[in-house]
Amino acid sequence: MPNTINDQRSTVFKLMIYVIGFLLFCEWLLPLEAITETKNVTIFFIYATFCFFISFIQVPWYLSMPLKLLGLAFILDGLYIAETIFSGHWFSILYDQIIFNVQVIQAQEWWQMTPLFRSLLFLILLWLMSYLLFYWIVVANRMFVFVLLTLIYVTVVDTFTVYDGKWAIIRTFVLAMAALGVTSFHKEMDKESIALGGFKKGHLWVLPLIAIILFSTVAAYASPKLSPQWPDPVPFIQSATGGAGPGGSGVVQKVGYGENDSRLGGSFIQDDTRVFTAMADGERYWRIESKDTYTGKGWEDTLEDPVQTVSPDNIPFQTFTDEVEIEEQQSLIELTSAADFQKLVYPYGTTSLDTSDGYQLRVHENTGEMDTLKGDSPAKLNRYVINYDFPSFEYDQLRESSTEDPEEIKENYLQLPDSLPGRVRNLASQIVEDEDNRYDKAKAVESYFSSNGFEYSTTDVPVPDENEDYVNQFLFESQIGYCDNFSTSMVVMLRSEGIPARWVKGFTAGERIDATDVTYNDELQNKYEITSGNAHSWVEVYFPDVGWVPFEPTKGFTNNADFYTDVETDDSDSAASGSDTETPEDNMGNPQQMEEQEAASDSESVNIDSEQSYVWVYVLAAFLILALLVLYVTRYKWISAFLIRRYRKKEDEETYEKAYQYLLKVLEHKGFKRKPEQTLRDYAFVVDRHFQSNDMRRLTNDYERVLYRNESHRSHWPKVTELWENLIKKALS
Amino acid sequence: MNQQTFLYQPKISDVMKNINKVMIGKEEAALLSIVALLAKGHVLLEDVPGVGKTMLVKTLAKSLDCEFKRIQFTPDLLPSDVTGVSIYNPKEMEFEFKPGPILGNIVLADEINRTSPKTQSALLEGMEETSITVDGNAVPLKDPFFVMATQNPIEYEGTYPLPEAQLDRFLLKMKMGYPTASQEMEMLSRTSGGHPINEISSVITRDELVSLQKEVEEVYVDTTVNRYIIDLVTGTRKHEGVYLGVSPRGSISLMKAAKAYAFVHDRDYVVPDDVQYLAPYVLSHRMILTSEANFEGATPESIIEELLSATSIPVKRNISE
Repeated sequence: MPNTINDQRSTVFKLMIYVIGFLLFCEWLLPLEAITETKNVTIFFIYATFCFFISFIQVPWYLSMPLKLLGLAFILDGLYIAETIFSGHWFSILYDQIIFNVQVIQAQEWWQMTPLFRSLLFLILLWLMSYLLFYWIVVANRMFVFVLLTLIYVTVVDTFTVYDGKWAIIRTFVLAMAALGVTSFHKEMDKESIALGGFKKGHLWVLPLIAIILFSTVAAYASPKLSPQWPDPVPFIQSATGGAGPGGSGVVQKVGYGENDSRLGGSFIQDDTRVFTAMADGERYWRIESKDTYTGKGWEDTLEDPVQTVSPDNIPFQTFTDEVEIEEQQSLIELTSAADFQKLVYPYGTTSLDTSDGYQLRVHENTGEMDTLKGDSPAKLNRYVINYDFPSFEYDQLRESSTEDPEEIKENYLQLPDSLPGRVRNLASQIVEDEDNRYDKAKAVESYFSSNGFEYSTTDVPVPDENEDYVNQFLFESQIGYCDNFSTSMVVMLRSEGIPARWVKGFTAGERIDATDVTYNDELQNKYEITSGNAHSWVEVYFPDVGWVPFEPTKGFTNNADFYTDVETDDSDSAASGSDTETPEDNMGNPQQMEEQEAASDSESVNIDSEQSYVWVYVLAAFLILALLVLYVTRYKWISAFLIRRYRKKEDEETYEKAYQYLLKVLEHKGFKRKPEQTLRDYAFVVDRHFQSNDMRRLTNDYERVLYRNESHRSHWPKVTELWENLIKKALS
Repeated sequence: MNQQTFLYQPKISDVMKNINKVMIGKEEAALLSIVALLAKGHVLLEDVPGVGKTMLVKTLAKSLDCEFKRIQFTPDLLPSDVTGVSIYNPKEMEFEFKPGPILGNIVLADEINRTSPKTQSALLEGMEETSITVDGNAVPLKDPFFVMATQNPIEYEGTYPLPEAQLDRFLLKMKMGYPTASQEMEMLSRTSGGHPINEISSVITRDELVSLQKEVEEVYVDTTVNRYIIDLVTGTRKHEGVYLGVSPRGSISLMKAAKAYAFVHDRDYVVPDDVQYLAPYVLSHRMILTSEANFEGATPESIIEELLSATSIPVKRNISE
């Protein structure tokens, strides 16, 4: 029987397309683990597979519904409910959860939603998606839109979140090619009524298809690609929307803290998105990490190890020796949602952290980079109190410090690229030739920029050419730039003079907010607001007896470190010192303060939860949008199904008119547009000629009686509804 | 325009069958004539001689059991030749009224534009009123009364064009046109052995015709359709190529004709299709184009065509109106 062969073949085709559709759908689920706090993604995969399978075998709804519901119940049971499944208590837990969450939703307190309910909603969404995608892909045979949406989704997720979509794009591409190939082949066969005699000749089309897919994939992968043609839009969008954005990207190419400094240079746009606020006794450098290797283009980090994971009670990282005078201080840091790094921002001298349980620090001992961890995975620490020993450097101690650097320091912090032009070295030795000690040499380099016409600007800053040195360009050609130019140049010049120095990244003190309503402790502390625009880089110079001392070469910025002199009081540098010596009281041990810290810790965990659920809400929203899109594309199908049911029951003229108008709309959607001047009869004739029936004419005749005769037509109702249904079904098939 | 779905009203169907026995390829003209007859209107045929005008009217008259009269208009025709005249009867010692040809049921007024306006008006008065005046006496016209006037195309010499006001009195204006070659072949073969008109008999009586006319008046016209008619007619008044648009009498005529047309198709309500079909026949002779439009080659028919494709059909009841 040729028919059965055709049927079999089309089933296999459908299965192929459907499986590809399912794999594409998996691409939607894959990023979830990376960009949200979703756990057990595998479970969702399994459930999605289950639902897709049930949808495909097309069992009647009274079978498929309970089956899917059962699967859903099992997952909820396994994940969240410890009771025996389907026991009375089990149901009561489920009921309580649902009631609670519904109330939460009504109160719009999204962050309160429990994981069980979120999972429940998500599973229901998967269920709906399986149904909709089956309809879309298999029944409507519309693959392309879904493919396109998947590609857009992957690119968007890749751009806006930490998810790396490189392979996802390639997978999607291969799947899309396969899907479109198979559908187009299928359609062609249908159109031309070709029967390929079963699958024996499958190689006739399978092999070329595979060859083309492989070829284009390999060609696309291997061919050179343009680098991004415009800057990362994320910071701008986040700034425009007030800093709310899902996930977090480590790479920020605009102003702000970013990890990649291997190619410095170029202009950037100012961005005043608030990153965090800090309570502090004075202006502080907010350090994140240092980098050691200058490549001629930017900075690389070769000293990431050794790393140790420690509890935040005792942080084993020090930049200065015990000989430096210190003052114990505390600072409360609160990160906003715009802070997209999972690292600790800390002032010099940090000793410990007060934060909620479960957080750990992974400290890179050389760079001072501290990743905040919860469990084993990086997590953003939104609110914490830092205990730190604020250092004050004594001038004479610095001046008299020996120059006998340990081997390790010399090895790591005197590195310079071979390509560094000689004139940079010459300039460095020229600048420091009159100075006899390391501190004054460093000061000479630091102040060189401000006294030699260098200009601070964030715009019109050139990017060095392929063969050009970043520092060389800044020192001798452009003489215009921002902190990276100044600090890098200073480090390079100091190193060329044999002084160990490193490049430090973080934030400047930020802007002091005048509102002095300090909630953190009893003492009056200043509140600073630090924005992306406060991202900064500066210099640390090594002094054997003192440790690393911060310097600020950037024109227009002042050094936030404190310097003092024992003997002389009118040293010119004292102007640069912070105004923080007026808070000598020891803040530790104040019971009320400790209490507040606990309170702070509590609220922090709430914050973290809300942060996570926000991401979750975005993902849910994305899925909802997809679902809505699918609903929109298939709207005529389900609206018709709905209306057919509704119109069967109602028998008034108004309904009749609505139903007829809807039919016109459906027909128009299918390409039978009625011109305004075309009479219903003419139109009906055209439609009937296409469908080779007379249903439309019969229905139109009847409708005309209602419309132009003002007649009631209850007696004809069953006949009319039948005609109407037939037409709708015919039009949509 | 598709007519496949239409069926004729049974009695009209009989008449049409009768006419088809005699006339070949003139179904549309016959149908329009019946429409005008049922709507109590009159028809103006603009065509050259010899295409079957007289035969059509004769057949129609014979099928309807009506009295057929013919007036051949000539330049020297007098009004009394149309209306009839009172002649002194010496035997009875009084004037006796000899009825003119207008006092028939179906009157063919051939070449109406060949005669003087005075004679024309004698006919046209009768078409508008239900009676004529002879020697100061009102003489009632017969019922049904149906005039089919023909006129040569205006360019012909020695004609008195009908004034616009009088053209307005015709419900429809149409052309018959030449038959196609195959129709003409059929015609020749049919007429070779005696004319078929002698073989047909009447299918409805005069009284039945009058009652049909009454039924036509009962045909329902919905406000939606009326609005469509108004839209079309006001369209002619607003059109820039039209110097004088269609009068309100035109709207009424269109509605009446549409009713008759609906009735002929065995429908007791008017649909926009009826209006669309009839608009060129009812409206084209009721408007005058500007000389620019004439110069550009526009015809009343082309302008009505344009208006029809610009006026949207009502497809739903607008409750707000």
